[in-house]
Amino acid sequence: MTGLRDALLTRDETRLPGRRDEDWRWTDLRGTLRPMPVLSEAVQPLAPFDAPQGVQVRRFAAPATAGTAEASLSVAAGETLVLLDRVEAGEGPYARDLALHITLGEGATLHRLVLAADSAEAVSMSLTTVALAAGATLHQTVLATGAKRQRIATTVAHPGGGAHARLDGAYLLSGARHSDQTTILDHRGPGGSSEQLIRGVAADQGRGVFQGRITVAEGADGTDARLKHNALLLSGRAEIDAKPELEIYADDVACAHGNTVGALDAEALFYAMSRGIPEAEARLMLVEAFIGEIVERIGAPALQDAARAFLADGLEALRR
Amino acid sequence: MLHIDNLHVSVADKPIIKGLTLDLPAGQVHAIMGPNGAGKSTLSYTLAGRGGYEVTGGTATLDGDDLLALDPAARAAKGVFLSFQYPLEIPGVPALTFVRTALNAQRKARGEAEIGAPEFLKRARATAAALKMDFEMLRRGLNVGFSGGEKKRMEIFQMAMLEPRLLILDETDSGLDIDALRIVSEGVNALRSEGRSMLVITHYQRLLDYIRPDRVHVLAAGRIVASGGPELALELERDGYDKYASAA
Amino acid sequence: MAADQDTVDTVAALAGEKYAHGFVTDIEQEFAERGLNTDVIRFISAKKDEPQWLLDWRLEAYERWLALDEPDWARVHYPKIDYQDLYYYAAPKQKAGPQSLDEVDPELLATYAKLGIPLKEQAFLAGVQGSPRYAVDAVFDSVSVVTTFKAELAKAGVIFCPLSEAVREHPELVRKYLGSVVPVSDNYFACLNSAVFSEGSFVYVPPGVRCPMELSTYFRINALNTGQFERTLIIADAGSYVSYLEGCTAPMRDENQLHAAVVELVALDDAEIKYSTVQNWYPGDAEGKGGIYNFVTKRADCRGARSKVSWTQVETGSAITWKYPSCILRGDGSSGEFYSIAITNGRQQADTGTKMIHLGANTRSRIIAKGISAGHSSSTYRGLVSVHPKATGARNFTQCDSLLIGKTCAAHTVPYVEARNANAQLEHEATTTRLSEEQLFYVMQRGLSQEEAVQLLVNGFVREVLQELPMEFAVEAQKLVAVSLEGSVG
Repeated sequence: MTGLRDALLTRDETRLPGRRDEDWRWTDLRGTLRPMPVLSEAVQPLAPFDAPQGVQVRRFAAPATAGTAEASLSVAAGETLVLLDRVEAGEGPYARDLALHITLGEGATLHRLVLAADSAEAVSMSLTTVALAAGATLHQTVLATGAKRQRIATTVAHPGGGAHARLDGAYLLSGARHSDQTTILDHRGPGGSSEQLIRGVAADQGRGVFQGRITVAEGADGTDARLKHNALLLSGRAEIDAKPELEIYADDVACAHGNTVGALDAEALFYAMSRGIPEAEARLMLVEAFIGEIVERIGAPALQDAARAFLADGLEALRR
Repeated sequence: MLHIDNLHVSVADKPIIKGLTLDLPAGQVHAIMGPNGAGKSTLSYTLAGRGGYEVTGGTATLDGDDLLALDPAARAAKGVFLSFQYPLEIPGVPALTFVRTALNAQRKARGEAEIGAPEFLKRARATAAALKMDFEMLRRGLNVGFSGGEKKRMEIFQMAMLEPRLLILDETDSGLDIDALRIVSEGVNALRSEGRSMLVITHYQRLLDYIRPDRVHVLAAGRIVASGGPELALELERDGYDKYASAA
Repeated sequence: MAADQDTVDTVAALAGEKYAHGFVTDIEQEFAERGLNTDVIRFISAKKDEPQWLLDWRLEAYERWLALDEPDWARVHYPKIDYQDLYYYAAPKQKAGPQSLDEVDPELLATYAKLGIPLKEQAFLAGVQGSPRYAVDAVFDSVSVVTTFKAELAKAGVIFCPLSEAVREHPELVRKYLGSVVPVSDNYFACLNSAVFSEGSFVYVPPGVRCPMELSTYFRINALNTGQFERTLIIADAGSYVSYLEGCTAPMRDENQLHAAVVELVALDDAEIKYSTVQNWYPGDAEGKGGIYNFVTKRADCRGARSKVSWTQVETGSAITWKYPSCILRGDGSSGEFYSIAITNGRQQADTGTKMIHLGANTRSRIIAKGISAGHSSSTYRGLVSVHPKATGARNFTQCDSLLIGKTCAAHTVPYVEARNANAQLEHEATTTRLSEEQLFYVMQRGLSQEEAVQLLVNGFVREVLQELPMEFAVEAQKLVAVSLEGSVG
């Protein structure tokens, strides 16, 4: 999963994942990063600014050429943390790989919002691993506007035991931007639940990728796992690639995934236009409503505001 | 017909029915009323033979035969029919196919000849018409996408087709509006006969306005704590179950 | 709650035991030397009296095969196959040349009678008036034993014969289409097949002709340590229609046997091909000993506008199944369908699905896949729906459902979706559920035994697919589903 990180640290180009690696078939780094940039510095978290009340903020600036960072974070049993991760855009080309390892104690709750802004020429990877304890709750929402290659991967080790994981996400892509959201939800014990809703929009030559794997181990009975990915193609040169996977080794489960790809609803568009809204405006309105559902699901109000502001910028880019 | 003597039933090692005794003669309709958690559904599932309901003591016989020794299908062949509180959906199996398969399995178990398709269809049409059911509904997957009322009507349809001798109606009135309740009750009443007995399990007296019982029993904390005529149901409606909660 | 333990045990106990076609035919056979090299390929080609171009084609395939690696991406596990330890050609000894039924070895006739395959030109259901007729090509190991109704089909202009005969009688057609859908080096097993294919059926339906009867090929592997490499080529010319059925069985043997087939379908303008498979190769015993390795490449090229191909498969046999019947939707307005039931029990492993490649405008595809796993088996649906930039108006609907019976089996769903046209509409749904104890009890309360109840629920689960099979085969398939899982006599 951290192919870029390994390659950067070892300066070994052959470690870059490419099209032939099953998990990277739609996010090829081998053909993209040539020559491979030299690691410039470790990416340091920046000081938070205007942090909303009760929200912990982590900010990451873009490296000059290439950078990596790795951090850990834990939420103690019974505690609640509201976390905002802002990955900020730099200028021009750079390569960045961030890793975060999260542990949630028994009954702990984490609300996490990831706002992934990158330059159009960046290769930007991130991996978050989450280990849940029984009764823990994870609510994560990832909002992304893409890069030359962008991947935001999350893996969750789910013990069952009444723990609940929600992995939501949205991507808004214009120009020639690419964005890949990859999730692995690993249900290892009985009595767990998870849900995922990912919405994506690709305009121009944008390319949206979603890979979601749900595994249910032998003995993880009573698991309820659901995943949905819906994407809109707004241009004839845009592309959406999706692979929702189920890997089930227990029989007493209810697992489902759904995937849809299509154009904007022509009837809704016509309806809006017949009320006097110009086509471009009507399109944006429908896209906003489509993505807006992801924001509505965010549990922490302070995060909702940050998400809205980020999406407003993303929609503005679509308008141009 | 049905004799239950000092029946004890546990679910997951927890005693639910604790010494229930009941006599249901042929041709009679008995109501079993009781508060939530009294063991009403446990009684119906135990009589029908559902797994997980462990009989720890006592007997239940139908015409002298030990019911409790038989698997659910054999009980059905003997004439036991449980109308489920929440009938199951069976995707891909049309209701007609389902009922015909069940009917012929029961006939085979009883050593009778299978019923042919034309005769079966004729009976099914007549029965559906009597229950004011759309016959096309019977060609769809059993109960799939049906409303609560339609599912209950489908139970009555099966009952009429299978012609059981012991009917157990488990909270048949739940989820029915007044029109559906009337149609379902008419269907049940049409099945009342000399050789057929009914056990009507209900929380509310409402259903008994439509299906008049010969006897009413109060089930509380796993035992019959009072028995009487139809007037007992009216009394329960008026006074509630409080007095029996202490008696148990 | 899941299915109760009794049900799980009952179903699991049946693995491998109820295989009704596991007998061996005792007949004198002729083999190529063991192993694979250019001499063996020359031997096969000579046996079939092939022209030089075809021998060259085979030899080139062999060269390419040597450079390929066996694929390892499927979710199946098996010990390494020693390709030098197999026989690539086995044929019952009999008189050369085309023969009438009277000349066929009585042992062979008895074999097909026992399997219930009609080799006489009669109605499929003897004595039933109005039942449709089936023309049969019976393939025994590496050769076709007999093909029925050839004369009557010829009257309609339909060519139905063993592929080796087509090479001699209709070389222009074979040369034009062979390898045009599945290129020689498409994949490891297809490449191997191209080098050593021995027999299969050839069908050509001329323009505007609706094939007057169902065509079917019945494959039987009999000889020990022998691979079967059938190759089927079906061409439906403009405006024609054909329905084709394929059945397969093999003896119960402790050794694994390799079956690597290639099926190519070509549908021209407005043509329609319906291809149905009831795959019942020996699955191995409950411990996973023996059984067929079924590595098959099936692909249809919907070359013509508004052409249509429909794949229906019932996969109950084989130790390992690796199979993805696919459609290349090249013609504008063409459509592809894939209906599948895959049942695994015992130690069986199936990795099967389809690819729908939308190239043309207004192309449609529909995928309904039902997987049932029991025992210690594993069943994977793997599929690709790909919409290319020119496929404006493309539509796909995919539904994958898995049913698990017991706690030691596994079910996986791996769909790939690639959309590159803004006017495409793709929809995919997948569910994984168990056989519920509540449903079983409900059905048993109405008088069905546990086995009958399981059978009823499973048949309900797969009904949507069974309906796609021709009627007689649907009945057969339903019985097969029952035998695979319930053990009631089929």
